[in-house]
Amino acid sequence: MSGPPLIRVSGLSKRFGGLTAVEDLSFDVGHGEILAVIGPNGAGKTTTFNLITGMLTPTTGQIELDGQRIDGLPVHRIAALGMLRTFQHNMPFAGMSLTDNVMIGAHRRFSASVVDILLQRSHVLAEEKQTRARAAELIDFVGLGHHLHADVTTLSFGEGRLLEIARALAGDPRVILLDEPAAGLTASEVKRLSTLIRTIAANGVSVLLIEHDMHFLMPLAERIVVLNFGRKIGEGTSQEIAANTAVVEAYLGSSINQLGQGGAHA
Amino acid sequence: MIRTFIWIAAIIAASAIAFVLGGYATDVYRKMLIWIALALSYNFLFGTAGQVAFSHFAFAGVGAYGVVILSTKLGLPFGIAFIGAMALCALIAFIVAVPSTRLEGFYLALATLAFAQLFTVLINEGGDLTGGTGGIAGYSLPSIFGLQLRGPWYTVVLVLLVAGTLLLLNRLDNSSFGRACRAIRENPAVAAAMGINVRRTKVITFTLTSTLAGLAGIAYAYTDNVINPPVFGLENVFLLLFMIIVGGMGRPLGAVVGAILLYLAPFFLEPIVGHGYLVIFGILVVLAILYQPAGLAGLIDRGLGLLRPRSQS
Repeated sequence: MSGPPLIRVSGLSKRFGGLTAVEDLSFDVGHGEILAVIGPNGAGKTTTFNLITGMLTPTTGQIELDGQRIDGLPVHRIAALGMLRTFQHNMPFAGMSLTDNVMIGAHRRFSASVVDILLQRSHVLAEEKQTRARAAELIDFVGLGHHLHADVTTLSFGEGRLLEIARALAGDPRVILLDEPAAGLTASEVKRLSTLIRTIAANGVSVLLIEHDMHFLMPLAERIVVLNFGRKIGEGTSQEIAANTAVVEAYLGSSINQLGQGGAHA
Repeated sequence: MIRTFIWIAAIIAASAIAFVLGGYATDVYRKMLIWIALALSYNFLFGTAGQVAFSHFAFAGVGAYGVVILSTKLGLPFGIAFIGAMALCALIAFIVAVPSTRLEGFYLALATLAFAQLFTVLINEGGDLTGGTGGIAGYSLPSIFGLQLRGPWYTVVLVLLVAGTLLLLNRLDNSSFGRACRAIRENPAVAAAMGINVRRTKVITFTLTSTLAGLAGIAYAYTDNVINPPVFGLENVFLLLFMIIVGGMGRPLGAVVGAILLYLAPFFLEPIVGHGYLVIFGILVVLAILYQPAGLAGLIDRGLGLLRPRSQS
């Protein structure tokens, strides 16, 4: 990788009272890079995501997006800078159509003010139309095209995962954070997801990913950061991580042997 | 094009009714139009944006008392009094919204309840300025640009009030702003993670809809040329809430249907069951919540769906 990283996390810590969820964590994410964060349950992976996206405020440390400090900024400001995420549990906006759900992800790209909207200035409708068309494209792209008019509450779990990704992509993110995107997906859905994530990264969008399914992750991630009890215990390429005995003991454990036979479960 | 034509046709039709009606029927029709206007803005606040507020009639009162006090007691020209009353609504709404939208929804309910009560006390105890419990009467709408808006022509003004309210709220509803409001209603934390400024959106929504309530209040002030405290109390806010729930939350159609039904129902029910109609309203609300959360608007959708030939999509 050349040039400065898109995201730089340095010395990041988060304490909840006496509990240290994340401690002195540092890593970089390059432009268009697929970086995975792995670790056992409770290792601080989701907390790290919440810190980076501003949903939690770091106790110490800093986070930079393209050279700009973003730690301490409100969540919506960070999202508006082009950092969009999916959630570990599907979080669709229940009372809204699939298209509207996806269009919410594009919120940061709307330039119309409330006054523009009330006066129905010409660019308001153009923006709306353009975003709607783009949302339909994205819904197709993730493979939900045949559900365009479906009630989002009727989607299957796997389809809900895809909706989360389409929604985050709608904002033309510079970085997308995926929290366990493959959890609960069928084998064929996981395969589709891998292709999807590669396409996203190939378009220059950085992908930061939390995942337990090693079979899915190992060939996909360019680099892996391993957490255990909130600390980074390893970082490197898939091969380096698989060869790292500390990591294998802490996280992969005996299941490393099953890697070739169909994936590990943490 | 066709939509614009339908809008104009509807406005002309609703205005034409004003010239056919007379006496008591005119009075009923005018009040119904004001209820519809209030239900539309309250629907956006409560149904679309999910903000539970009890101050809608208080803001109608700020508009009504504001314009009458500014024009008759302080002797300002009507145009200035009108703008002043609207600005007062917006300012007070903003002051109420900023601290209360900071916290969870429950706090807004309490703050607006407190404001509504405070407003009722103020107009009851306002002495000469507000006319106390008797309110203010004996004023009238001055001619505007040489036009005397009287009789059926004032009813046309009320039709335009409804049409204008509907037009503005429709624009909001079908925009990124309306979508953001609905996203916040469903899940504020996820909405924020998508780049929506939750507090700002809430404050704008509350201020805007409360100012629209003030506008309806101003229109009300010149309907009978009398204003008094009971109208702007909590009882009517709950009726407004019922209208939205029965009509269908978050749907302008629901607000219109709910307002018409619950406003007119007592005229038919009162001779039969007296004040028992309130019990019937209560039952309707419970039934709507339990069995028909989409309200009457949802039933209308289903009815229209049955009429249309089935298409595969």
